[in-house]
Amino acid sequence: MSRGRLARWIHGAALALVAAYSVFPIYFITVQSLKTPQEDVFGSPFYVADPTVENYAELLAGPGTRVRGFVVLPRVPFVRWLANSAVVLGASLVVTLVAGVLAAYALGRLQPPGWLWWRRALFATYVVPHTILFIPLYQVLIALGLDDSHGALILIYSTMALPFCVWILSAYYRHLPREIEESALVEGATPATAFLRIVLPMSRNVLVAAALFTVGTVGNDFMFASIFLLDPTRQTVAAGLGVMDVSLEELVAVAGVNLAAIPVATACALFARGYVRGLTAAMVEGA
Amino acid sequence: MGGLTQVRPGSVPHGPAQAPAGSVRRREILVAYALLTPAVLLVLGVLAYPVAWEVWISLTSFASRAESRSFVGVANYRTMLADAFFWRALATTVVYFVVTTLAKLAVGVALALLLARPCRGRALVFLAVFLPWAYPGGVTVVAWYWMLNPPLITSYSVAVGHWKHAVDGVAGAGAYTFASVALFNIWRGASFTAVFLLAGLNAIPRELFDYARLETRSAAQRFRHVTLPLLRPFLALAVFLSFTTAFADLANVWMLTGGRVIFPVVGTYAYWLGIRSGEFAEAAAWSLSLVPLLLLALAVLFRWFDPPREAPA
Amino acid sequence: MAQVMMKDLNKKYDEVHAVKDVNLHIRDKEFIVLVGPSGCGKSTTLRMVAGLEEITAGEITIGDRVVNDLPPKDRDIAMVFQNYALYPHMTVYDNMAFGLKMRKFPKVEIQKRVQDAAEILGIQELLKRKPRQLSGGQRQRVAVGRAIVRHPQVFLFDEPLSNLDAKLRVQMRVELKRLHERLETTAIYVTHDQVEAMTLGDRVVVMKDGWIQQVGEPLELYGKPANKFVAGFIGSPAMNFVDVKVADANGALWAETQGLRVKVPPIHTSRLVPYKGQQVTLGVRPEDLQLASGSDPSEYVFDAVVDVVEPLGSEILLDLRAGNSTIVARVEPTVRLKVHEKTRLALTPDRAHFFDLKTELAI
Repeated sequence: MSRGRLARWIHGAALALVAAYSVFPIYFITVQSLKTPQEDVFGSPFYVADPTVENYAELLAGPGTRVRGFVVLPRVPFVRWLANSAVVLGASLVVTLVAGVLAAYALGRLQPPGWLWWRRALFATYVVPHTILFIPLYQVLIALGLDDSHGALILIYSTMALPFCVWILSAYYRHLPREIEESALVEGATPATAFLRIVLPMSRNVLVAAALFTVGTVGNDFMFASIFLLDPTRQTVAAGLGVMDVSLEELVAVAGVNLAAIPVATACALFARGYVRGLTAAMVEGA
Repeated sequence: MGGLTQVRPGSVPHGPAQAPAGSVRRREILVAYALLTPAVLLVLGVLAYPVAWEVWISLTSFASRAESRSFVGVANYRTMLADAFFWRALATTVVYFVVTTLAKLAVGVALALLLARPCRGRALVFLAVFLPWAYPGGVTVVAWYWMLNPPLITSYSVAVGHWKHAVDGVAGAGAYTFASVALFNIWRGASFTAVFLLAGLNAIPRELFDYARLETRSAAQRFRHVTLPLLRPFLALAVFLSFTTAFADLANVWMLTGGRVIFPVVGTYAYWLGIRSGEFAEAAAWSLSLVPLLLLALAVLFRWFDPPREAPA
Repeated sequence: MAQVMMKDLNKKYDEVHAVKDVNLHIRDKEFIVLVGPSGCGKSTTLRMVAGLEEITAGEITIGDRVVNDLPPKDRDIAMVFQNYALYPHMTVYDNMAFGLKMRKFPKVEIQKRVQDAAEILGIQELLKRKPRQLSGGQRQRVAVGRAIVRHPQVFLFDEPLSNLDAKLRVQMRVELKRLHERLETTAIYVTHDQVEAMTLGDRVVVMKDGWIQQVGEPLELYGKPANKFVAGFIGSPAMNFVDVKVADANGALWAETQGLRVKVPPIHTSRLVPYKGQQVTLGVRPEDLQLASGSDPSEYVFDAVVDVVEPLGSEILLDLRAGNSTIVARVEPTVRLKVHEKTRLALTPDRAHFFDLKTELAI
């Protein structure tokens, strides 16, 4: 075998390995979620011989109870959780992107004195683990009247996603040729119109990147959702699954994970190209 | 017209770097601050009170069982520093941070370099690499945890149980669970880092790599002297983000299991002290014990944060 | 259609005084070119006319309106940028229609104007494309088209050709000139390329370090440069400068330096009398030097040695040494000279220029 071909083989094998490593845990979850309770006990963990969607159907069945062995379990309001998650995610996206775009434009383009340090200050909050601050955070939320409400999560998630979004958007706005905007101004646009009609559409990919990062941040939280949302009808999927008695219903819980994750992962996959392009566009100029 | 004058050197700069202090510019600065306000209020505003509160409380004797709250100075810190348990927890925390971050960077860089080379099926592999991060971690962690710590009835419980006892036997009780959290964090974080760095690689002009091929003798040399320095600002950013997720994942599992992660770590122990035992003041001191280390990390990262920049022409 | 007046125009940045006391009256329908090396203030001046830079002091009038405090959108101008500044997310059509849409023109009118402009520029078949699908020259046309659909009072061009390759630049130069003749709109054009300035401008403004050096028609600048800078900047290859001493001998003035001695031409004699015994700068354009033949008067002939020969086809450029001075001469393509060969050069007497050594003003 020639050197070139050998190198290609190694490269291909490495890629296959990487793909397997990345996907395996998700494959594993999916396998379990498709099992019947019998197969869960007696089958193999690596494949499913007799797939069933009953665990998924269970989640979508609505209120009531179900019987498993000798135990009667209440059904969980999973559809409600999904809707709550969607509300929290959507609102976090709106808040993060609006506040992020405005701040990024200020820092990247208008560059008030000290803009570099503002950007750094925002980013520096990433080294303060929010998770150790929740006692006083809770006080803040109560003071804002956001106790046990989606608003609490929306506020915290936006706070966590914003610094990165501001960073990539402001990096992009900074290297965007000024002439593009100046041209719009000469053409008869006001600065606001120039921003909305020209700059914002041009930063589409960067906005996609910021949005997906926000989705990732929101999706990664389990803790705040569990702490701040106690009412089962207001809970998000993460908070809800956390309170399920998993040792008895792990198959349903795992199915729930997939059911919540699949729409998110699909959306991310659809926008993956825009995500990378957006990040690249932001980075061309560097920090 | 047509007056002649002496020759003076100097260039005409554009842009706000040499901004004039004219009225238009002044208005622009005001607008800039106005636009900045929502984000700053959200990020710094929401965090300012909690941080200040923690600092203040850590200097008092505030606890749910204490009769009164009085100012005790650094007494809480003194107690904490004298506690051997604290030092073990701190060491664990630092090791956890460093190991997960380095692992994420290493795996991330490797994946990014692998994906940067064009080949057949790259798009599919890219999607596979992207998947761990795109799969919402807040719910995946539920599955992940139960996968590695299965309930007794599952087919693979026995096998995993053996593993668990073996690991705990060597590294102490709770080590297995702790390691599984670290693994989850690395699995998911490396995915983000890889995609992030891939975007970074795309942003570096091709000619730099082409030129490096002429100048360097081996791929390793090229990586060390060209790729790595060019990626440095992005690596610094990735480290920042690694910190947050490292902590969040730990806290997630800790919450999920109701504190069954018993391996001592500063953050979760602070939570234990505060919520479970009501020792708020001590908890605050524990929480803040990481601040000096984090500030040190900040100082280093900020030096890497901005890429080497040529003077404006 | 409008005249543009600049009165005592100044621009100061924090540390740099970029534009100094510029006074300029641009006539209606005139094509005026601002030219100078980078950092001379030409672009800043243009941007002040556009309203993209604040005016530190002075006044700009377009038509009969003082525009100092008007935002760009209200100045009724159109601008073509060096990097074209096309909107990448819009089609060519939308790029060209944007300004009209902003001004709320009726749809039919927009369509008509865009079509007309596209026809003039020969880009009808590109209207549905996005800018990234166009070549450099096509983008350039779109940028110009975007400016002309608006029928503005003044066109502003900021180095619009410098991103094109040499061949295309020459072609677009001609087209721009033709376009101006057709549209008869006042135009201010900024460039660092003196050839562009000379070929395009009805009048040319030479700037340096924020000051206007000279304003004049192209041939005026070429023939009667006001100072050494303009003399050196206009014309390619650049004028030769030799510092010489004015000496009195045999009842005539002579310009002499080591290895070079020529008579001061009669048209300059009276003005050079006060400089007797002093140093001045002698300026001679390469095209005003020939290889000496027997018929040349010997007082304008000097010895030189060939350093470099640059055959360009239509002509040959010779780099020569005369004494301590380096001199470029532009000679007939039939001349056959080798490096290190000795030769004799003759200058055309009434084409010589003299400059004061200190003020650098033409004498």
